[in-house]
Amino acid sequence: MSAREVSFTTLLRRAGAHDPRRVEALLREAEQVLGRELDEPVEFVSYLADPDAGVLQLLRLAESARESGRRDQLLAVLDSGRRHWLATVLGGSLALGDFLARHPEFVGDFLAWREDESFATVDVRAALLEAVGADPLADAPVAVTGGADGVARMRVAYRRALLRIAAADLHEANPTSILPSVSAALADLAGAALDAGLAIARRDEPRHHQVRLAIIGMGKCGARELNYVSDVDVIYVAEPAAPAEGDGGAGAGAGGGGGAGGGSAEQRALRIAARLAVAAAQACAAMGVEPALWEVDPNLRPEGRDGPLVRTVASHVGYYERWAESWEFQALLKARAIAGDRDLGEEYVARTRPFVWSAVEREGFVESAQAMRRRVEEHVPADQAGRQIKLGPGGLRDVEFTVQMLQLVHGRSDETLRERNTLLALARLSAAGYVGRADAATMDRSYRQLRVWEHRLQLRKLTRTHLMPDDEASRRVLARASGFLTVDYLDEVWGDIRRDVRRMHREMFYRPILPVVARLSAGEAGLDDAAARARLAAVGFRDPAGAYRHLQSLTAGTSRSAAILRQLLPAMIGWFAEGADPDAGLLAFRKLTEQLQGTQWYLKLLRDSLTAAQRLARLLSTSGFVANALLASSEAITWLDRDADLEPRDPERLWVEADAILRRSDDPDQAITALRGLRRRELARVAAADALGMINASRAAQYVSYSADMLIEGAHRISRHMVARARDLDELPIRTSVIAMGRYGGLEMGYTSDADVQFVYEGDAEGAKAMSDQVARELRKLLQSVGPQPGLEIDADLRPEGRNGPLTRSLDSCTAYYSTWSEAWEAQALLRARPCAGDPELSAAFVAMIDGARYPPELPSGALSQMRRLKARMESERLPRGVDPHRHLKLGPGGLSDVEWTVQLLQLRHGHAHPELRTTRTLEALDAAAALRLIGAADAAVLHDAWVLATDLRGAIALRGNARDGDVLPADIRELGLLAEILATHESGAALDERFTRATRRARQVTERIFFGWEEGRA
Amino acid sequence: MAGMDKQQEYVLRSVEERDIRFVRLWFTDVLGILKSVAIAPAELENAFAEGIGFDGSAVEGLTRVYEADMVARPDPATFQALPWRGERQGAARMFCDIHTPDGQPAMSDPRQVLKRTLDRASAQGFSFYTSPEIEFYLFKQFESGQVPVPVDRAGYFDNVPRGTAHNFRREAITMLENMGISVEFSHHEAGPGQNEIDLRYADALTTADNIMTFRAVIKEVALEQGIFASFMPKPLADGPGSGMHTHLSLFEGDRNAFHDASGELGLSPTARHFMAGLLRHAPEISAITNQYVNSYKRLWGGAEAPSYVCWGSNNRSALVRVPVHKPGKSQSARVEYRAIDSAANPYLAFSVMLAAGMKGIEEGYQLPEGAEDDVWELSNAERRAMGYEPLPSSLSEATDAMERSELVAETLGERVFEFVLKNKQREWKAYRAQVTPYELESYLSVL
Repeated sequence: MSAREVSFTTLLRRAGAHDPRRVEALLREAEQVLGRELDEPVEFVSYLADPDAGVLQLLRLAESARESGRRDQLLAVLDSGRRHWLATVLGGSLALGDFLARHPEFVGDFLAWREDESFATVDVRAALLEAVGADPLADAPVAVTGGADGVARMRVAYRRALLRIAAADLHEANPTSILPSVSAALADLAGAALDAGLAIARRDEPRHHQVRLAIIGMGKCGARELNYVSDVDVIYVAEPAAPAEGDGGAGAGAGGGGGAGGGSAEQRALRIAARLAVAAAQACAAMGVEPALWEVDPNLRPEGRDGPLVRTVASHVGYYERWAESWEFQALLKARAIAGDRDLGEEYVARTRPFVWSAVEREGFVESAQAMRRRVEEHVPADQAGRQIKLGPGGLRDVEFTVQMLQLVHGRSDETLRERNTLLALARLSAAGYVGRADAATMDRSYRQLRVWEHRLQLRKLTRTHLMPDDEASRRVLARASGFLTVDYLDEVWGDIRRDVRRMHREMFYRPILPVVARLSAGEAGLDDAAARARLAAVGFRDPAGAYRHLQSLTAGTSRSAAILRQLLPAMIGWFAEGADPDAGLLAFRKLTEQLQGTQWYLKLLRDSLTAAQRLARLLSTSGFVANALLASSEAITWLDRDADLEPRDPERLWVEADAILRRSDDPDQAITALRGLRRRELARVAAADALGMINASRAAQYVSYSADMLIEGAHRISRHMVARARDLDELPIRTSVIAMGRYGGLEMGYTSDADVQFVYEGDAEGAKAMSDQVARELRKLLQSVGPQPGLEIDADLRPEGRNGPLTRSLDSCTAYYSTWSEAWEAQALLRARPCAGDPELSAAFVAMIDGARYPPELPSGALSQMRRLKARMESERLPRGVDPHRHLKLGPGGLSDVEWTVQLLQLRHGHAHPELRTTRTLEALDAAAALRLIGAADAAVLHDAWVLATDLRGAIALRGNARDGDVLPADIRELGLLAEILATHESGAALDERFTRATRRARQVTERIFFGWEEGRA
Repeated sequence: MAGMDKQQEYVLRSVEERDIRFVRLWFTDVLGILKSVAIAPAELENAFAEGIGFDGSAVEGLTRVYEADMVARPDPATFQALPWRGERQGAARMFCDIHTPDGQPAMSDPRQVLKRTLDRASAQGFSFYTSPEIEFYLFKQFESGQVPVPVDRAGYFDNVPRGTAHNFRREAITMLENMGISVEFSHHEAGPGQNEIDLRYADALTTADNIMTFRAVIKEVALEQGIFASFMPKPLADGPGSGMHTHLSLFEGDRNAFHDASGELGLSPTARHFMAGLLRHAPEISAITNQYVNSYKRLWGGAEAPSYVCWGSNNRSALVRVPVHKPGKSQSARVEYRAIDSAANPYLAFSVMLAAGMKGIEEGYQLPEGAEDDVWELSNAERRAMGYEPLPSSLSEATDAMERSELVAETLGERVFEFVLKNKQREWKAYRAQVTPYELESYLSVL
């Protein structure tokens, strides 16, 4: 006995049992209940996807069969070849096992199913209607059994039919092959349930004959590609049964809005219909003795949740003519009459069909389709994205979206594409040459496999799930249920499918656009010019003809590079299309590619690195500034492959590089050219990272400032060297420093800003002042002279006495000046003073000296009113002529300068008492002031938001790279939309405009209150 | 044409069958003035397909100068033959939605402002219904610089046999009904030559469209009869002003959300919060509901005009009044806002009134005690003691209050908000620069 026991548990383990001892015990128990041993217990277990749970279900079924006197029926099944079917059901679906245990009377069904009759040919509608005593042949069948009893009968009949479909499905060795008929059968079964639900509803609605009601299936049910469990999307259509009096007819304008109009025949009919519809849905979805089937979701109807549940055909049509949004037309593509009055349903479908095919012509179709896709992707919770079979990247939604988009673009002119079902539509697309044969085959295979997994997961407990399980045990069950030997193999196939689908989702749409001359093999799809241009226009190219020409030029010929480009472009076109300005992106790509013709690495990099290609497309279609930088210096393209290369360089690291340049060169021209080149390279890096959304605008400004620091420090060293050499000295006998001022001092420099500085020196050697002046002048020349690399404008106007003062001052002179200063603005300007180059000791001494001036114990009398007057004058004088002040990011009301002056006033007032406020950076100072409660939290938030938004917008305008004045927000709505695209906020131009106006209006109110102190005067 | 739909075809057919020679495309500027572009039937097809481009900078508040191009797209559902008798050949009109050249709805189109506000309410399950009582004057043809002379001098509910006003009203009602606008009730108001016509309850957008149509019809009928109609809030120093008391209610589906049989006065908590919102925000929305310098002469001219922020049941001096309705008529629960005048832009005024009420619901504002006295009879000190704040006493005060209002800015959208503010500040400045006959009379000889 013990020898058999060991080998038996081993056999059970081999057959898949997780806990063979327990499985064995359960088997024994089942045998006891059945009254005899099972013939091939191990073989039976091997058919169970979840052996441990399946055997328990067998035991429960056996007990239930015994109690209901049906033990012999169960034994008959177990003795027949159909026991494998039973096993696959018990192991694959706990819920259906429960159903059998609840209704052992159906166990005999396994033997009743005829070999030569498929589940797909069963008349489920008749079966469900008869279950409630309704006549399937009647125009409007009425149930004999109603109420809870009728509902329960209908649901039992539903599940009995479901059992048959599931048994065939689970038992099928190659489930992907029958997937379409399984899905279709499930859709028909759902329609039948609604029909039976209606029959039950009619029984309790005496006036049901006054109305014709049709239920239209939308979504998967409409397309006959339903899941085991998912919401069934429906729309209800109704008409009065007899022609209404007056028969106002065609004037669709009267269509069923919310008017309080009273009781015409039509309205009476609609009220009855609404009651029927609700009752039919409840028959499927409400709680009951026999569990609910699925949710019925009527929210795709006109006006969604807010709209009337039931409308007439004319009212539906009226809505689609006037109000509907693009996505609603896309939804109509799937509409099919599934229950209720067939003629009426068909009429609805026929009348709404034309809308589907004119959807692409509507304005905003492209935007709304793209926005929808983005929304769908963003809705997937990040922790689920990797497990989502339906919505995750490379999931079912990608397949459906791609197929639908192609249908909508080409279905207008090609009627063969007008097909609801995803797989059939895919076949049509392939047959008509819109999609390559190989792609279509892969897509088809992938879709089927994904759906099979989804079905298996749903069957388990008949729950609505689209998630790959994350625990090992459940994955094992899934692998067994779907014909995969191991979990590893399943994971591998899943990975392949996701990658393939993702790639095709990107490329399928674009590859056939490539000009026909570029066709490689006969198996690939080719579009004629018009169709290609239609696709380009459909994804957002404003000049499709131009884009088509660029593509032609890029892919023409038999060269190696043309061949690589033919591989690359399909994906890249999609990425261009996602950028702010697809046309500009493609044009820049053509220029870049032509310029780099003959280099080896360029196309190789793009071919080998999807990341680099995607980023290049994004940059070129987003930022004219970066595009120009790349055209000027193509080495930057090599960074795109690696995040680390796009990471802006820290100042220390930058300086090490600059230092090395200075050490190995003693030719000033060569050295400064190299340093300028270094700065240009860093600007390109920062701009690329900025445009790719890897850093935000204020961090970008910080790194732009650092690269100016590096360049000025280097230039300072060179100029000291030159001045010393000119005087035959080894070393200058004075210390010199450069102090950054203004936004540069605050590390808030823009890509094209000047550098505000002042110069200071220390030393009493003879001619010290002359030497210092000369160092400053040489430095300026080094930075501003025309050279092979871009320079940097130096602006020293913020020095003591401004333009009229000496170019450089000694520390003593500065001290004397600031200790007796009379101008409030100079103390204010010092708030942002930050040494950026030169002698560290002198710099430290300078900072210590100015602290007294910029953080005074008390604001000198008159300073406040002087600042206010100055600011008010600036507002009226400094703005460029002809510019709407409200659109000036720096000087306009609520703009950068409002925020900065307000913050600086707080710093001047409280910096002495609160060292936390002593920073040259606006946001740091603002946050510190808020933390100290020197400004209310709400006011601080308003200023913060306005400053950040204006800074982001300046950054975006600079990146866009086409503005005459980078401080003026464009008024053109389209241009604003492009800026929003660069900011990656996904809002329309008008919405951005609104947001900006609101932020600045609020910031202005705060400024008027806190900086100008105006509020007191008002009520 | 591929894009042609049924409604558009219907319009084209009607134009042909009825021998319509001109189609007027109607839209409303930010100040509430009806604008009309006439096109020939031949241009209609193109107007449906692409809209009619026009120079938006010529229309108050529609655009800023540098983005002047706008597109008016007629809404075929609003097609209506115009029953003007003066036009020998047929004319018809359609309301338009205003779009920017790239196809987006113009932020500054008042109709869009109202649609947006209605959408926000609808997101919370409410639809907004309004019914205005529109007052206006009929004058004999007048000459610039003269004090206008009313057509008759009848009093409240007087029946003037064969009076001009009588004929006028009969004509106007017929014409309005020809245009599909039902008129609920009409009687002669207190002032000489003054009329009141009440429009039936409808959703706020329809009502606003109807008000625009109504004004055009009234002006047209008056001209036909050789008289002159004006919706000016206070045309006569010694006569009552022309208000547009508006009844408001919210519906949740088919149910009147203001009704609660067990509540005080049959009002639901929703109604009470809504009223509290209206009251609290009344001062800041005044520049919209009472948008002209002249509006404040009505508001502060006594004679039933509500000058103080308070509410009452059947209190004709209160700003918000709860009309008594028959028990059991739950659908007719409503509140009446009495500040708004006949010269308001109905799209914007309904928007801010709805937004104020919705704010009250969202924030659960508490409704203060109702006022039972005639507020005008109280002394200043009494009013202050009871917490009855005054409404702005001038356009200048009203714009100041509006300038500080987040509610109005958010409702109108920043663009319209900014425009209205600037426009009203300019109006006040221009008005202030006047030296009036009153001043000359009072001061010139004495001082």
